[in-house]
Amino acid sequence: MSFSRKLTLAAAAAMLTLGTAYASDTQVALVPGGPHPYFAAWEQAGKDAAKDFGLAAADYKVPQKWELSQQNELLESLLTQGYNAFLIFPGDPVGSVSTATELTSAGAPVIALAGCLKDPSPAAFCLGTDTGNSAYIGTQHLIKAMGDGKKRIAHFTGFLVDPNTQLRIDAVEKAAKEGGAEVVQVIADIDAPEPAEEKINAYLAAHAGEVDGIITTAWVPAVVASNALRKIGDKRIKMVGIDHDEVVLKAIKDGYVDGTMLQNPYGQGYIGSFAADKLRTGCKVKADAPFKSNALTTKFIDSGTVFVDAAEVDTYVTAMQGITKDLFATFQATYLDCP
Amino acid sequence: MPVDNPPATPSAASAARPSPSGRPKFYLTNEFGLLVLIIGFALLFSLFSKNFLSPFNMFALGRVAAVNAMVGFAMMVVIVTGGLNLAVGAIGVCGAMFCGWLLEQVGVPWPIAIVLALAFGAALGWINGFAVVKSGLHSFIITLATMSIFFGAMVFLTRAESFRGLPPVFSAFGTARFFGMLSPLLIVAAVVGLLLSIMYRYTVVGREMLAAGAKPEAAAFSGVPVGRVFIYCHMLSGSLAALTAMLVMARNGAAIPSMAGQLGQDWLLPAFLGPVLGGTLLAGGRASPLGTFLGAILVTMLTNGLLLLRVGEFWVQACLGLLLLLAVLIDKARRSYLAHLRVA
Repeated sequence: MSFSRKLTLAAAAAMLTLGTAYASDTQVALVPGGPHPYFAAWEQAGKDAAKDFGLAAADYKVPQKWELSQQNELLESLLTQGYNAFLIFPGDPVGSVSTATELTSAGAPVIALAGCLKDPSPAAFCLGTDTGNSAYIGTQHLIKAMGDGKKRIAHFTGFLVDPNTQLRIDAVEKAAKEGGAEVVQVIADIDAPEPAEEKINAYLAAHAGEVDGIITTAWVPAVVASNALRKIGDKRIKMVGIDHDEVVLKAIKDGYVDGTMLQNPYGQGYIGSFAADKLRTGCKVKADAPFKSNALTTKFIDSGTVFVDAAEVDTYVTAMQGITKDLFATFQATYLDCP
Repeated sequence: MPVDNPPATPSAASAARPSPSGRPKFYLTNEFGLLVLIIGFALLFSLFSKNFLSPFNMFALGRVAAVNAMVGFAMMVVIVTGGLNLAVGAIGVCGAMFCGWLLEQVGVPWPIAIVLALAFGAALGWINGFAVVKSGLHSFIITLATMSIFFGAMVFLTRAESFRGLPPVFSAFGTARFFGMLSPLLIVAAVVGLLLSIMYRYTVVGREMLAAGAKPEAAAFSGVPVGRVFIYCHMLSGSLAALTAMLVMARNGAAIPSMAGQLGQDWLLPAFLGPVLGGTLLAGGRASPLGTFLGAILVTMLTNGLLLLRVGEFWVQACLGLLLLLAVLIDKARRSYLAHLRVA
């Protein structure tokens, strides 16, 4: 056996040993606030992260309902079961701080994912969509799509008890004002099928003629409004939606919707799992990390948002992967200090 | 402690046959059945799930059970009248937000803020009771309406913003552990249950509540001010809902508008489960604080155990329903068997 061959074998053995030693005992739990299609991408993201980074587990665990108490119970039981790192969409930005504190007290790092905890909190940071910015950019695209003439906008959005909702309302209002448009109606509290169907359909039945554009800043209202415009069959009303539900994407292809503001749930789950493991195994958050600020926290990382219209709707997955790739490439160097 | 009222069926009548002291023997009661089931399921879960009996899990379980039991008490005191209080969650959240406002914005010392919040809960309960008595409508309708009114007004006034500047004593209370595993929240719930038992058994107003709930016309003929008593029940329910919310505030370290879900509806299921499993009659006239307490513990334990067994999250609800049905059937079989033994 030549020297070079021996060296190669020795290196391979060393790599194998190192690889085994590196195999992490980190068990990440990815816990949304409740069942919602937005979070479905977290499941695959967790699986991919577990495989790619050698984690013991990165499991997607969903509370049965959107109840803070149910999420708290689930988190407590996951800690009891041995999960030792948590990626949490807070059931409430304030009410979840107490549970997050208990988890970190038990030695499990917590990262707020897709939605932030309100400072001060024990979360290492918040990785999510800059919701206000997304709504702002979406409204700008809508105003552009409406062209000249009257620009009367209806805004359909999420639950009032979600602080992101007020941020979105303010952002839409700001963009409208800047673009010479008028927000004639805001309908909130409708990020669930039943209220969304009832209120959006009733509003459009009575006032479709008084509206020139629709912006939706929550998943379910985007789906319901897309369907409503298809039923009306009039493409005069312009619309910009949010997220990547098939109904919205098809409506974009068919010309009933002008575009959608994509978020990056896969990237949140994948990069979040990576970061949680790093934090468990000795890395610290950099003191001078270039975090952004939002209404809830000063430790915010934007997981990316992108506008997709008919020209890009078939390649939206590539757009999302691109965002994740870019963020991941510099994540550790930018935000973590590892020994 | 069950507060007696004649059981409806012959077998139940036999089972609940009074001892020489005038009370049904404990081993024949609904509460004993619940106790047996709790012990049985605890053994089952400790055998088949990892860490069920760990101090942290016992602490977490007790804390959730405390809230469920308190919500159950808040509902039970109205069920006693043959009515319902669907606004129990909305009143609770309003009480918590009022307390948070007093603490954070007004700067009221925390003991006074708690007392005022309980009084506020009672005031909202008074509105319910007064509307029920004066309108003659079932409390289901009235409280369905006030649930929206109370919650809507609260969201409007607070702009859905939380109060998190609570004194540290709140968080300290919510996270404290006695002997590493006992939550003080559970102690509060146990004390409230004891006080309710004493009220129903030994005080005039408590007995009047039961009498008015059992047969309002007969109670009125015997001089019980039925309308006023019904209002008292709703006021008590409001106070208990507010107290429950104080416990949740302590647990969360903040007063938040969504603490009991949209319109406070998250509290409705536990509010009914505890009393109904505990033997409180929906028709009114009988209350069992001990049964409600044990019922809440059973339901909480089943949920906790199923989660630890890693039953898929979406199966927990179905399994919980099946286990509850099984528990009730086992208890019914136990009582029928005991009744048969005593009759035979």
